[in-house]
Amino acid sequence: MTDTSERRRGAALRLLAAERSEEILPMLLEEIVSLGFARALVTAVDFDSSELRPTVSLNCPKSFQHRFRTSTYAMEHPAVQALHTQQMQLVPPTRQMQPVLCYPVLYRHKSACLEAERIHKPECLAVFNSTVGSKINLGEQVCRVCNMHSYAAVVCVELRKRTRQAQISTISELVEIANRQMARLFKTEYYFNRMSDMESTIAQMQTVMESMSDPVILTDNQHRVIMQNKAAERFFKLPDGVSEGRVRAVELNNMLFSAALSSMAVSGTSDSSRDMTLVDAIEGEEVLFEAVSAPSFTRDGRRTGMVSVLRDVTELRRADEELRQNYEKLTAAEEIVRQDRDRLNLIIENVGDPIVVCDKDSKIVLLDPLAAELLGTGRESSRSPVRLRNQAKLDAYITSFTYSFSDRESAPLRLVNPTSAQEIEYDAHSGKIYDERGQVAYTVTVLRDLTAVRRVEQLKLERRMLEMEKFAAAGRLAGTIAHEVNNPLEAIKNCIYLLANNVTPEAQAVYSILKTETERVARIVRQMLGLYRNTEQVGTFHTNTIIEDTLLLFARQLERSGVRIERELGDVPPSVGSADQLRQVLSNLVVNAKDSMSQGGVLRVRTRLLSNGLHETVRVLVGDTGCGIPPNMLQTMFEPFVTTKGERGTGLGLWIVKGIIENHGGKLRVRSRVGHGTVFKIDLPVVR
Amino acid sequence: MEKKRILVVDDEPNVLVTYRLILQQQGFEAHAAVSSEEARRALDSLEFDLLLCDLSLEKQESGFDVIEYARGKNATLRAILLTGYASPEANEWAEAQKIPILFKPIDVQQLLDTISSLTRNDDHAIRQATCE
Repeated sequence: MTDTSERRRGAALRLLAAERSEEILPMLLEEIVSLGFARALVTAVDFDSSELRPTVSLNCPKSFQHRFRTSTYAMEHPAVQALHTQQMQLVPPTRQMQPVLCYPVLYRHKSACLEAERIHKPECLAVFNSTVGSKINLGEQVCRVCNMHSYAAVVCVELRKRTRQAQISTISELVEIANRQMARLFKTEYYFNRMSDMESTIAQMQTVMESMSDPVILTDNQHRVIMQNKAAERFFKLPDGVSEGRVRAVELNNMLFSAALSSMAVSGTSDSSRDMTLVDAIEGEEVLFEAVSAPSFTRDGRRTGMVSVLRDVTELRRADEELRQNYEKLTAAEEIVRQDRDRLNLIIENVGDPIVVCDKDSKIVLLDPLAAELLGTGRESSRSPVRLRNQAKLDAYITSFTYSFSDRESAPLRLVNPTSAQEIEYDAHSGKIYDERGQVAYTVTVLRDLTAVRRVEQLKLERRMLEMEKFAAAGRLAGTIAHEVNNPLEAIKNCIYLLANNVTPEAQAVYSILKTETERVARIVRQMLGLYRNTEQVGTFHTNTIIEDTLLLFARQLERSGVRIERELGDVPPSVGSADQLRQVLSNLVVNAKDSMSQGGVLRVRTRLLSNGLHETVRVLVGDTGCGIPPNMLQTMFEPFVTTKGERGTGLGLWIVKGIIENHGGKLRVRSRVGHGTVFKIDLPVVR
Repeated sequence: MEKKRILVVDDEPNVLVTYRLILQQQGFEAHAAVSSEEARRALDSLEFDLLLCDLSLEKQESGFDVIEYARGKNATLRAILLTGYASPEANEWAEAQKIPILFKPIDVQQLLDTISSLTRNDDHAIRQATCE
């Protein structure tokens, strides 16, 4: 017996000395066989296939092993029963076989494991398995607390025919010892594996953290830094032997950071981001960070601290700020442009003339309502043949203007009013808008309705014609009278001439009066006849030609009086009216000029074309350097029978001049200075 | 020296008389005709050195007809056209015929100058006279 107990004790000690869990079961089988049993095996639960499969055996033939290979659901199998009941089972002997003892080996313990104790969870697998009556789960043996995958097996020993109860107790004792030892080792190994796994995970995580260019900081619940990467150390860790400035910078950074974390914790947001400005301890620059913090939890949901990732957003925020400023600028500019456009639109709508804005390809881009009425808005419904024709006319004009070299242009344009179907004469005023490269970007055309202007012109013309007719009638009357007076006058004059030598000395004075007064009547008649002679023949004449003719006619007389002629005749269009009348005007003025320059002088005659954009005027200047007209005469000099020439003048010359000029729709003005000379200024309208 | 013979034609008898008297006073042999008919008769019967003719004569007759009639007899006959009223046609006609026109009322001295220049039988003088 002593031998047996000795041997048992030795076996137990050997089992307890095992250092690896996988050593135990083979060792157990050896100890059992050494107790004198023929063969033994361990059949373990394969949780993947839900089978019991022999894993270790000693002296077991294939057939024996085969008997202990079964499904975990085969409840009648003694090994399965042993596991379920947690009691050893005895397989009774058969004719071919000795009895077999099945003893369950399961991870179990009366008290919970350390981890379960630490977190006060009673669901430890060891405790569960050791609780009497609990249903053993052969599907999986996993601890709900530490997630450890455990084992379930059955030790099967072939007994002899008559094995004593004491021997069976020894076996069960050894199995229990082995099981306890295995459970311990299993757990230790599990924790060891888990720890080394965790270490490698931590190492990986650290590598990940370090490889991140953004600062990453792990803090505990008291916001103390547990771990930080190199990028974070730059801001939060103080290397040895640094300047005071850097120390302060790092302290300040830490303070700011923990303040941010605290405020995040207080605000209760579990996952939040906020901006903070930290000082780069090495460069000394301020860096704006966006800190994204998330709390870290254990698997069972306890909060362990925070993970904060700081993202350098200095550039981003600067860009953001720039973008915002630009956006504001843009908005302001847009507002100004909008106001300008509104103002412009208001102006365009209130101009009262059709306005068309075209792009460089002469395509209409903007129309005011009046222009839209003329040209259509481009929609199908507003298209009519009249509008299309108007568009074509305008297009031709604008295209030629766009490609012309002038900045502005005005041209007559005849368009048809679509409503009244009447042709309207427009004065098209166009200007160009250039882009920054100096290319034509747009053209603006304002169409001025000339209907009213033309009507006034027509009225003026009609009135002038009437005036001319009246003047002609007066001229004809004067001519008729003069003609009638002419013949008697001729006779009287001839008589006076004949009597010249027969007048007695005492009658000489009377004769002289008779002669001069008759001469005067002759001059008046001549003047009147001249007027009559020139009242017909309305047509076009060239002012310059008439001036040349008149000057040629008087050339000799002027030369004789010592008068030099200076002429400056511009390029002027033909005028409408009576050439003879104009000839008389010029003759009268030239004769007056000549008479005013008895000591000689200069006669200046100039013509030029004046234009105010709408009307053209031919201006004729006749100036002399003669004696001038006394100021008191300037008012009355155009009235009939007013003369400065005394006996030699008729007083009709300037009256006729003024009458003729006004009948031609022109204006006659005079400027004179006594002793310096006189200038007559004639403006004749150009009728094209 | 032989007196130059001048025919004066005017439908106004008083004017005609005074012209005749003035011409006679100036030493010309002056004949007067108050109508174109009389003028033709005179032209038929005598040769003249100069014809002084009013443009508008009695009825529809005009100075042109008389001058043309006279030129028909003597192509080189000098003539002066007198008128109170000149139409452009008359001007053109006179210019074509190289006949000077004097407008009434006529300055007697101017008339006498024109006459003397024409009767001097001097081509240069004629040209001068027609040009003025």
